[in-house]
Amino acid sequence: MTAPVAEAPVPETKTPFYRNVKVLSWAFQVVVFFIVLTVLLWLWGNYLTNTRESGIPTNFDFLNNPASFAIPGADFETTESVRNAYVIGLLNTIRVSAVGIILTTILGILIGIGRLSKNWIVSKLSTVYVEVIRNLPLLVIMTFTFLGVVLQVLPRIENAWDIGGLAIFSNRGIGVPWYADVSGLSLMAVLGIGLAGWWLLARWRHSVSDETGEPSHAGLIGGGFFLLVLVIGWTLLGPTITLPEVDGKQIAGGLRVDPSYFAVLVALVIYTASHIAEIVRGSIQAVPKGQGEAGTALALSGFQRMSLIILPQAMRIAIPPLGNQYLSLIKNSSLGAAFAYFELTNVTQITVGNGSPAVPAFALALVFYVALSLITSFFVNVANRRFKLVER
Amino acid sequence: MKITKLLAAFVALMLILAACSSDDDAAATTEADAGGGDSGSLLDEVIARGELKCGTRDALTGFAVLTAEGEHVGFDSDFCRVIAAAVLGDAEAVDHVDLETADRFTALQSGKVDVLSRNTTWTASRDGAEGATFLQVTYYDGQGMMVSADSGYASIEDMDGVIVCVAKGTTTEGNAATTADRLGLDWEVRPFDDNDLIQAAFGAGQCDGWSADSSALTGIRADQPDGPDSVVILPEVFSKEPLAPLVLDGDTAWAQAVNWAILATITAEEWGITSANVDTFLDSEDVNIRKFLGATFTDSDGNETTLDPKLGIPVDFAYQVIKQVGNYGEIFDRHLTPLGLKRGVNALWTDGGLMYSPPYR
Repeated sequence: MTAPVAEAPVPETKTPFYRNVKVLSWAFQVVVFFIVLTVLLWLWGNYLTNTRESGIPTNFDFLNNPASFAIPGADFETTESVRNAYVIGLLNTIRVSAVGIILTTILGILIGIGRLSKNWIVSKLSTVYVEVIRNLPLLVIMTFTFLGVVLQVLPRIENAWDIGGLAIFSNRGIGVPWYADVSGLSLMAVLGIGLAGWWLLARWRHSVSDETGEPSHAGLIGGGFFLLVLVIGWTLLGPTITLPEVDGKQIAGGLRVDPSYFAVLVALVIYTASHIAEIVRGSIQAVPKGQGEAGTALALSGFQRMSLIILPQAMRIAIPPLGNQYLSLIKNSSLGAAFAYFELTNVTQITVGNGSPAVPAFALALVFYVALSLITSFFVNVANRRFKLVER
Repeated sequence: MKITKLLAAFVALMLILAACSSDDDAAATTEADAGGGDSGSLLDEVIARGELKCGTRDALTGFAVLTAEGEHVGFDSDFCRVIAAAVLGDAEAVDHVDLETADRFTALQSGKVDVLSRNTTWTASRDGAEGATFLQVTYYDGQGMMVSADSGYASIEDMDGVIVCVAKGTTTEGNAATTADRLGLDWEVRPFDDNDLIQAAFGAGQCDGWSADSSALTGIRADQPDGPDSVVILPEVFSKEPLAPLVLDGDTAWAQAVNWAILATITAEEWGITSANVDTFLDSEDVNIRKFLGATFTDSDGNETTLDPKLGIPVDFAYQVIKQVGNYGEIFDRHLTPLGLKRGVNALWTDGGLMYSPPYR
């Protein structure tokens, strides 16, 4: 009588495909992919149609056209190609970024440490610096360094400040002593040999010190070698040092620092340092307090404690955010375009103003900026891997 | 529950996708319109919109200045009004769009403005590579050099080893560089984003010379903080700078409408028709003048008719232009004569100048 309930087989329900999570999530991704692709293709098609209708070239032939503008501070003729102008623009971007990164790191670390100083004045000054500069737009700072500092504080060329014949300051540039008659390449080679020797010697001394316990004197020996290489290189190459002087309306001899370069560099360094200072302060505070106290227990001086124990550990934390600051410094250097500094953006704008097609010209600048950023990120990542805590 | 949500999201996405694809078509059509394809001219679009988007600038004395009252005043601004009066019958139906020098072509190409009336030099590579069509020249200019009065320079040939400041993205920087090459002079040409920065650099003595089109320099000279006599414009004019309005390539109907609006101001001056006396010409004895003003005349069959040259704009466009804005001479006298600019080569051809309009018939 009783129905064979227990024997009724549980029906083998197969989830239909339209309710299968796996299928759905795949479908979802495929749809998103096609939407993105459609939008991009549509934009690209519009660009091609519109440029074809108005007869605007979309290729890169304009790179071979004569630039028909001159670049101050570079040996660049108006008949040279747009391609060469781009190269100079790129080099100028690298020049201001590389020097800027080095200077801003030094300034940022000093101010970051200053914020934690027990000296009331130093710590308050550092705090004011960070709070003021960090809250100003970079363009405002740069306008100030150009219009205020370069144009108003620095004197006219006729009244240029001459610092003992060694340096000349005027609003047409700053002249400093510089070498001449030697190619930059051979100079780089000498510096490279010196630095490589320094590094190898320091490594050797450290390993000796680790084994025997005798003091390493790595800095002394390595630095000595570096100086020796410099002296030998100097005698072999025999460069002459030229001093800057005012020649008519220009600064001749030595190295003339372009006034726009100066304004852009100072603004970038001041601005980025305010961010770096905060990173450094945070990283130092992230090092456990016991580390510093252990240093005190070992009777290390304040400087030793900071340079041997705290900073090396703080830098480990600081490297990734520092890298971000370096990237924004590189990109921010494009603001120099407004102040007659011939970096990449400026060259692009000028070449577009002189008849190069805008989209390919800016696409090229875009590729260069992305490449610069990726290369910088690569080095930051290498440093990060090298310094990060080895976990066992 | 989760699957229902996913399904809902999926359906929503499909709907969005469907909406997108129909948007695609609509957007593509308007884009083609802006580009002046087969589907329609910018002329129809401007008439439908009832307003002209005219690319101009905000701070070049005499040519285009944005006043404290928010009004654009100047020679170039008036030619925006000329076009609006011709196409729309209302000289004030203009949206003056202030553009940076370096952005002006992109603004035109992207359809941000319908026409550029922004003292732009007509050159071959701009005609070609920027996809622009230059129209009737409104001002024949040439590049000059301004120096401070106490510099002692009397000619550009005295200027060796100097810094010359220019505005960026113009033909000026190239001209300055090639002129220096030609004369064997060593000039450092520094391009700045706008005239305010050049003024600061020039005032602080960073630049020895300020090079720009002579007409622009005249306006700049009038605005010097130490008065116009603190600076001198050197006598040389070292380039040809025909300043002309421009529209995008490939839209002939629009280009013709804009061109004839400008030519009307020249024709009117030639016939002595001004904004003050234009009404008296409506019943002129001269049938050519009546045709020009869109007034009725008796044709060979004895019918009262008007001349419609099929330009796609109202037949009385010239009347509207002259009545509301004025003829070429009036526009010139209103904005450029007060700066001390002479007509020079910009006089009518009948006075030995270059201003010449094809006949209106």
